[in-house]
Amino acid sequence: MNAKQLTRSLIAAGLLMGSVACGGQAAAPAPAAATKAPAPPTVAAPAEFTFTGWAINEGASKDVVTGYMKAYGASKNAVIKEQPYPFGEELNQLVLQASGGSAQGAAQLDIAWLATMAATGKLKDLSAYAKDRGYTQAGLLSGQIKGVQYGLPWTTGSIGLAANKQLLDAAGVTSMPKTVAEFEAALLKIKKSNPDVIPYAGMTAAAQLKDILFWIWTFGGTVIDDKGNVTLGDAGSVAALEWYKSLLDRGLMNKEMDRFTARQLFSQGKVAFYDDAIVMKGIVTKDSPVKNLGDLIVPVARPVLKEGDAPQALLWGHIVVVFEGKNADAAAQWAQHLTSDLGTTTNYFEKLALPPTTDAALKADLVKKDTFTSDWSSKITASAKANPFALYAASARMESILTERVNAYLVGSVPTAKAALDKAAADITPLLK
Amino acid sequence: MKTASGPWMATRASERALGRIGLYAALALAMFFAFFPIYWMLVTSLRPNAEVFAFPPTLLPQTLTLEHYANFIKNPQLLVYLGNSVLVATTTALGSLIISVYAAYSFSKFRYTGRRALMFLVLSAQMFPQALLLISLYLMFSELKMLDTYAVLVLSFTTFTLPLCIWMLKGYFDHIPTDLIEAAKIDGAGQMQIIHRILVPIVRPALVATGIFAFMRGWNDFIYALTLVGKSKQTLPPGLVLTYIGEFQSQWADMMAASLLVSLPLVIAFILFQRQIVSGLTAGAVKG
Repeated sequence: MNAKQLTRSLIAAGLLMGSVACGGQAAAPAPAAATKAPAPPTVAAPAEFTFTGWAINEGASKDVVTGYMKAYGASKNAVIKEQPYPFGEELNQLVLQASGGSAQGAAQLDIAWLATMAATGKLKDLSAYAKDRGYTQAGLLSGQIKGVQYGLPWTTGSIGLAANKQLLDAAGVTSMPKTVAEFEAALLKIKKSNPDVIPYAGMTAAAQLKDILFWIWTFGGTVIDDKGNVTLGDAGSVAALEWYKSLLDRGLMNKEMDRFTARQLFSQGKVAFYDDAIVMKGIVTKDSPVKNLGDLIVPVARPVLKEGDAPQALLWGHIVVVFEGKNADAAAQWAQHLTSDLGTTTNYFEKLALPPTTDAALKADLVKKDTFTSDWSSKITASAKANPFALYAASARMESILTERVNAYLVGSVPTAKAALDKAAADITPLLK
Repeated sequence: MKTASGPWMATRASERALGRIGLYAALALAMFFAFFPIYWMLVTSLRPNAEVFAFPPTLLPQTLTLEHYANFIKNPQLLVYLGNSVLVATTTALGSLIISVYAAYSFSKFRYTGRRALMFLVLSAQMFPQALLLISLYLMFSELKMLDTYAVLVLSFTTFTLPLCIWMLKGYFDHIPTDLIEAAKIDGAGQMQIIHRILVPIVRPALVATGIFAFMRGWNDFIYALTLVGKSKQTLPPGLVLTYIGEFQSQWADMMAASLLVSLPLVIAFILFQRQIVSGLTAGAVKG
């Protein structure tokens, strides 16, 4: 664990302990049935509230999202104040604000953070705002904890496998690998064909080793079973980790690979396969020296262990939550508009290639005609599963424990995959409570 | 007269030469560790984006560009962060200096009950992880309705700079003969006159070193500046991360150019005051 991770963990651990100790009732919000939720009350204008998120300050999304804020503010006589945080810092900041009682307005969240935020007891139940807006079932589920709709889905996609078809063709890989054995054979062919190309830029940097999750699923592991037991260290997870390390040892993957590096190398035509979120196309094609790279990218269903298995992918997406307090209803109406207004969501897709979360937007011509998105959705997102840690308040710490132990095995400081995963299971189990 | 000292002398000379080579090698290694990151920042800031992520990387840039420096200057929000940094770091440095001069003088030249305990209590503030203190400070400032103000940043930074500032200045005050203070008293000077007219001019090098230390603390802090204030009052470290690093962006070249530019005030300060800084930092290191 590096200093920055330690700092984050200390803050998160301290805050969670504090919020549990000081507000036990708040830490366990009572579930509310969506059907019994009251209708959204009318909001007296003008209302002032904050919108927190990284999209309001980040690269391509900044002007788009702040534009929506201004337009909505003008049409509804509302004042939406910006509160941007860097993506990697936002969860800690929001937990701190919620614990300190200063959190207010609406906030953009990664779906993996919802349980942590819900545990603060400060999120508003948005069931009334989710009704009759045409959100997809997958989207709605990404915003729920124990049946309560804390978040409205803004974009729902997955982290899946993408390939550079040109590099595969050059190596003589004529069809997309369907099984792990075929995948391995393809990687070996690519390595042999061009040693300068990284066959598979799988994540090997400690911070992003959560990607091992979909390989564990592929090999038959479950991570956390139906009864709530941590199953890391079972045959499937051990086989997955041993196989993953074997790719590294054979030079089919690179050491210390993180998502940013993988994207850049893919953009330069130096990577054949890598895992990323559905938005990867827009990122890697920007400033790419490879002509027509956009046409060469192929979404690939993750290879399975044996034919008939379901391809595995990790559900990924953004939701918008609202904090209880002053002008919470106005903030909830803004969240509802941002995530379900047809014009706004299709424009968001057009500008940023982030898939919408309502049936109406998904049926819009603009979205339907995008073959990359529809391919990705049918091949990858269709069978994507949620992060198994995402249901728990200590999800960030649990994920961090897994990535530390996996990293320890990959760098050789733990002798066996079994030992690394058993230790991870032992450390994660107490956090399930 | 020829003696057996010839070979012995030659051995000594070769040992000295070897020692020098070893010394230079160690210095070169230390220089490499100290300056390579700065070199890498510089060349990254001068490369076009496509070259920054070229694989394998090259030590020398193939193409030079100043676009990343231009991007910094053209971004008005970064200039707001810069202004906030100057304001907060300068105020922190001045506040820390003012308080620590009096505190250090008291600890150094007065004897009273609880003095040592108080000294160690002040120092103990340095012993807590700052990430943990952030939580309690955030909650306290939230209760006081002080969040999102410049004052909250200055107060927080001063909390962390004061202990070391006080101990640095105390070391310097310890070297000032008590006779000098006694003589001033005999001449009719009060305590304030003694501090302001006699001691402060003497300890000027230590004040410069201490002031720069406090300034650096305010200038470099990331987590407090990110947490305690909103975008309009944030300083450069969180501002740069906010601007260049995100879920889908990593503008390293722009980040390196901006980092080099914002380091300049500190580098210039070090060059201008290096003599005072060295003498200030070493004061009290040797008991005279």
